[in-house]
Amino acid sequence: MDRQQEFVLRTMEERDIRFVRLWFTDVLGFLKSVAVAPAELEGAFAEGIGFDGSAIEGLARVFEADMLVRPDPSTFQVLPWRGEHQGTARMFCDILTPDGEPALADPRYVLKRALARAAGHGLTFYTHPEIEFYLVKDGFAPGAEPEPVDNAGYFDHVARGTTHDFRRAAITFLESMGISVEFSHHEGGPGQNEIDLRYADALTTADNIMTFRSVVKEVALEQGTYATFMPKPFPEHPGSGMHTHLSLFEGDRNAFHEAGAQYQLSKIARQFIAGLLTYSSEITAVTNQWVNSYKRLWGGGEAPSYICWGHNNRSALIRVPMYKPDKGNSTRIEYRAIDPACNPYLSFALMLAAGLRGIEDSLELPDGAEDDVWSLTDAERRAMGIKPLPASLDEAIRVMEASELVAETLGEGVFDFFLRNKRSEWAEYRRQVTPFELDRYLTML
Amino acid sequence: MRSRPESVAGRLARLGFADPVRAEELLADPVLTEVVGQDGVPAGELLAALGAVADPDLALLALVRLLEAFTADPDASGEDGRDRLRRVLRDGDETRDRLLAVLGTSAALGEFLERHPRQWAVLLDPDPVAAEVLPATATGSGVDPVLRRPLVAARMRTELLRAVGADPHAPEPVAATDLAQGADALRVAYRRQLLAIAGRDLTAADPFAAMPEITADLSDLATAALEAGLAIARAELPDGAAPCRIAVIGLGKCGGHELNYVSDVDVVYVVEPPVAADAGAAAGDPGSPAAGAVTGAGAEAEASAATGDDAEAAALRTGTRLAACLAKVCSAATAEGTLWPVDAGLRPEGRSGPLVRTLASHVSYYERWAATWEFQALLKARPVAGDLALGRAYLDAIRPMVWRAAERENFVQDVQAMRRRVEEHVPARDAERQLKLGPGGLRDVEFSVQLLQLVHGRADPQLRRANTLEALEALSGSGYVGRDDAAEMDRAYRELRTLEHRIQLFRLRRTHLVPDSAPELRRIGRSFGFLSAPEKEITALWRDRSRAVRKLHEKLFYRPLLAAAAELTTDEVRLTPEAAHARLAALGYRDPEGAMRHLATLTAGLSRRASIQRQLLPVMLGWFADGADPDAGLLAFRRVSDELGATHWYLKMLRDSRAAAERMAYVLSCSRYVAELIEHAPETVAMLGDDAELVPRARAAVLASVTSAITRHDEPEALLWAVRALRRREIVRTAIADLAGLAGLDEVGRALSDAAVATIAGGLQAARHTVTRRHGGELPTRFAVVAMGRLGGGEQGYGSDADVLFVHDPLPGAEERQAQETAMAVFSELRRLLALQGPEPPLDVDPDLRPEGRNGPLTRTIDSYARYYERWSEPWEAQALVRAVPVAGDAELGERFVQLVDPLRRPAGGLSEADVREIRRIKARVESERLPKGVDPRRHVKLGPGALADVEWTVQLLQLRHAHEVPGLRTTSTVAALHAAVAADLVTPGDAAVMEAAWRLASRVRNAIFLWRGRASDQLPGTVRDLNGVARIVGHPPGSAARLEEEYRRVTRRARAVVERVFYG
Repeated sequence: MDRQQEFVLRTMEERDIRFVRLWFTDVLGFLKSVAVAPAELEGAFAEGIGFDGSAIEGLARVFEADMLVRPDPSTFQVLPWRGEHQGTARMFCDILTPDGEPALADPRYVLKRALARAAGHGLTFYTHPEIEFYLVKDGFAPGAEPEPVDNAGYFDHVARGTTHDFRRAAITFLESMGISVEFSHHEGGPGQNEIDLRYADALTTADNIMTFRSVVKEVALEQGTYATFMPKPFPEHPGSGMHTHLSLFEGDRNAFHEAGAQYQLSKIARQFIAGLLTYSSEITAVTNQWVNSYKRLWGGGEAPSYICWGHNNRSALIRVPMYKPDKGNSTRIEYRAIDPACNPYLSFALMLAAGLRGIEDSLELPDGAEDDVWSLTDAERRAMGIKPLPASLDEAIRVMEASELVAETLGEGVFDFFLRNKRSEWAEYRRQVTPFELDRYLTML
Repeated sequence: MRSRPESVAGRLARLGFADPVRAEELLADPVLTEVVGQDGVPAGELLAALGAVADPDLALLALVRLLEAFTADPDASGEDGRDRLRRVLRDGDETRDRLLAVLGTSAALGEFLERHPRQWAVLLDPDPVAAEVLPATATGSGVDPVLRRPLVAARMRTELLRAVGADPHAPEPVAATDLAQGADALRVAYRRQLLAIAGRDLTAADPFAAMPEITADLSDLATAALEAGLAIARAELPDGAAPCRIAVIGLGKCGGHELNYVSDVDVVYVVEPPVAADAGAAAGDPGSPAAGAVTGAGAEAEASAATGDDAEAAALRTGTRLAACLAKVCSAATAEGTLWPVDAGLRPEGRSGPLVRTLASHVSYYERWAATWEFQALLKARPVAGDLALGRAYLDAIRPMVWRAAERENFVQDVQAMRRRVEEHVPARDAERQLKLGPGGLRDVEFSVQLLQLVHGRADPQLRRANTLEALEALSGSGYVGRDDAAEMDRAYRELRTLEHRIQLFRLRRTHLVPDSAPELRRIGRSFGFLSAPEKEITALWRDRSRAVRKLHEKLFYRPLLAAAAELTTDEVRLTPEAAHARLAALGYRDPEGAMRHLATLTAGLSRRASIQRQLLPVMLGWFADGADPDAGLLAFRRVSDELGATHWYLKMLRDSRAAAERMAYVLSCSRYVAELIEHAPETVAMLGDDAELVPRARAAVLASVTSAITRHDEPEALLWAVRALRRREIVRTAIADLAGLAGLDEVGRALSDAAVATIAGGLQAARHTVTRRHGGELPTRFAVVAMGRLGGGEQGYGSDADVLFVHDPLPGAEERQAQETAMAVFSELRRLLALQGPEPPLDVDPDLRPEGRNGPLTRTIDSYARYYERWSEPWEAQALVRAVPVAGDAELGERFVQLVDPLRRPAGGLSEADVREIRRIKARVESERLPKGVDPRRHVKLGPGALADVEWTVQLLQLRHAHEVPGLRTTSTVAALHAAVAADLVTPGDAAVMEAAWRLASRVRNAIFLWRGRASDQLPGTVRDLNGVARIVGHPPGSAARLEEEYRRVTRRARAVVERVFYG
């Protein structure tokens, strides 16, 4: 037993923790949980805890249904909403095959593999997500219009506002779980909020996003509201994205930073951006994995629809934020397509893989876009070589199908499962007759 | 009788001078004659002393140069002056022996003395610390090593720190010189001590006994140099640099107190801010990237306030400067040369990791990320310079983890990989002359000792030693390895290390190559005391010790297991059952208890077999462990041995042919199929001993054997079994060649097809005999067997059925119905005979591709075939006929059949659009219907997407459409047809390559599944264990289950994309 495991067992004893939830994530990014009593934990560290993997989507093939979860003691946290004493704690888990090998379908392992590849180049991958979501009044029925909790706008301070209390409670919980919050404010839409997490290595960030989504939902429920990460709940209001800032470090040094270069961007940073641009269409089915994701991507607001980059250009897919002098380690790029309903492990793995491919193949970075890309005409964009992102889940799937990069990064099993799952989602969606059609056609035709 | 006066040159030659004429000139040099001639000191004595050293010519020249160097030094007096040197040379005491020995071995140290003549005086002192201990503790051969060691370390440290003007008593000594001066001063002081060590080494009464002391002295000297380098680095810090505590941890040979004269010095650095009250509790800076990954432990992290973070970051910056400067001081080439490279490459994250880390950062790395080999490197960790308290704290934190390494999840695989690294021997340049990395090199000893430490050190703290020889002694003392084996290994290691030292001393170069020039070998041989034939004797010693080391594994790893299993000796090895199990498990045996039982049985008793197996098993245990299933290998070996143990040739083969025994171990542990075949027919084992036997035989040769069997046997049954035995031999031959990498997929397919064809030919003959007997008289019709499918393509796998069509042609005047009945009888009998259960493997002859499939008659006359194909033929039948080729029976009839079907399978003008559509439609239906229920299509090597059927249908469609115009397509071979299609531009080379890769991989996997499991399956195995086994046979390294699955799915996914385009259009 190592020191972290001992620390966990000691803390459990001291704080009188009665249950530990072992958390892991399925291929679509849903959090799964197995609760165990403290007495079982030592065994869980050593050998893992068995469960039926075939019951979890995309995880196991039927014939090797017996899988193991093994908790990662460095992720141990007491769940704040369960009370300080006789409470509940959680740990993230790695999923293993019965032989104790990492399960290829474990999204955490997919990300770990991608990080290991970066480590092969001597690089570590850091991410910093800005997570947007809507608070709506609880108790809506299927088919009914959801109702936002307030009518405020960007950065508005709402006196005695629900969202204000909400953010304070959520942030307190997050901080108590060791998740540092950088920034939080009311976003553009009514009831829409943004909370930014502090940058950390990609695996920690992905774990944090999983935690974040459940904390936010828990807090919302406690306050009688409902939090949704749905990318585009209201056609007339901005969608919820998860702009993510990315940087690579070489040891303690920010590998994206080069003093004196244009925008202080190193060669590696330029190649990384070039890679991300080149493969952005291929990875979109994962970073924007729902039918609804494309309503956000193509629904205006600040969502990026076109593949280009720009210095502090909020219409570009990749924005290079304004450089702050004497903060060399803060040089980073912002990927703006991804939404908060993605599987963060898979999405980070793919964004990293795309960027690394740019470095490995020494891709040239095209010129940055200086204009507002949305205001250009199609012909102008064509002339400038700016292509659109996939316009629908269907299109994104078709691009992904032919992607060796995605297959290699996700592994053949996850790749195949993901495509099948998304094809069937699309097929189901296509069968719908929408209010739009009824409104427009029923009487007209 | 008066002897003739000897010439001077002759005497010099006799004394060992290689160039007496030049020596004579040098001896006449005034600087020498001043020493020897004057006071009546007989020149002869100095000459004799010179003659005793390794290279007299070298020593004489260096001596003259040393004396000449003094002519520039007007002050002749003093302890280290010219006069004293002359006295030493005249008096002929031990100091002179030391001086001449060094001059005669090391050109580099001779040159050093030429530059700094007064440094010779260090040799006056037999041992620098002898004066510091009580005489009572000094034995005849010197000071007790236990007492001596800390004194030497302190003395070296003092000397070297003083040389750079630093105060040895200061807690953090700082040099009084700048970097350039300091580096030079350090080099001179270092070489001075090196000179003293070399003097002791080269005049030791027993240099092999002294070897550990010498290497420990060298290590202490190196660590003293690190300390002095650190003092210089401190002096180089800019004003206002943040304070820091830095500890230098020695790893590798430096850590183990067993350094060479010249080698890299392996280190890692630990840095802490000076005020940290509790180094263990500082969990690191949660904001810095390095610590971002380890902040999980919550409460502790909060303790570090912002100021603490800053102090730590600043300390790390200073520490990085110090470490970088230290490395530069040691490795830079100055006027005084260089010391050695300081290598920090073993640090966490290797070269991409930060140069220095805090203690907490080290700990969290080793807790989370480290690989087994890194723990192996940490075995030897020891604080060597800088802040020793911090160094000890590091050691206290890290040590327990090292000994827990054996509990790590991948330990077994890692150990196996590391063991292979030892055995495979880095294919270094000059491997032939490698002393360190070559087969039987020093690395072998060190690695094996370390692995045994990791395996058994967990349970036994006795074994936790950093020093190779001490660890070996502990292993033998506690009975983990045989005492005699350990002693032999100990001797070999000391001698090889001494050889390495003597090679390095000459130029003070970091080399591990045994020189091949005669003068160099001569010098080294003489330094070992081989005076009569030094070149030959030193080479013989080297080869002999390398051989001893090469057998090391069986001795160190396996022999104790055998001893434990068989309870052979009581005095030597005392491996407890637990220790034996731990070792077997570490080697990859899943059932150590069973393995011990088999070992006990195999080695019990006094029979010749038992004694040969006792000799052989230690090494075979290693070979089984290299295979995919060591336990199965050992069990199969036991069975074969039970069967054949009394046979003379078997024992002889085992004893005399290492290659045969190794191959047998590998084959038995990789293939249940071959193990079963061999168990049924143990005499097949003989093939293993003969490479010529493992070449698949040509079809003609196999057929000739069948023909000869036909002439020998009149009884149908006897003939049948003879023929089936023949086939079994060919299968075993092919399978062994396949597993041993002697035959590729194409040869395997051909050989298995040939064996099946020959069996059918023999079976047909036997069936005719039977029916003739029953029928009486000549049979009324002629027969031919037409191969289809994979058999027709010469692409049989181990588990393939033989797809055939039966055709016959009534003799003129024979009655058609009777002929048909006879033919039915013959072919039914053929199928029955070949499928008969019995000792030899059956061959399933499958006629399902005949007209009307299973509903059609088993055979037809050629005319009936003609009528049928003319009226009814479906596109799929034409497609099946693409691979038709007559293989047995009446050749002329076979040829007529070919003439008959050629227009069908090569339709003039190609296929009609309707036919193309029909074939595509059937294929689409087959895809959805033929797969068994519940099977994951992606894992089905025959019918899955991108698998065998996909590629074959695509190729066959191309053949049907274009064979009339492209002659190359008129082949039954899938791959040949694909190549022809590329040549005719029908498919792009890229698409063809993708399809060929998938077809080959699927075929190989299918064969491998059969070899591994002993029965046919078209599915990629579902358990990791089976998949691992299959992956091994396909040629991947151990533990490649996931890799094979990924590879298979990737390759077939790509092939499917091509098939969708090329086949479905």
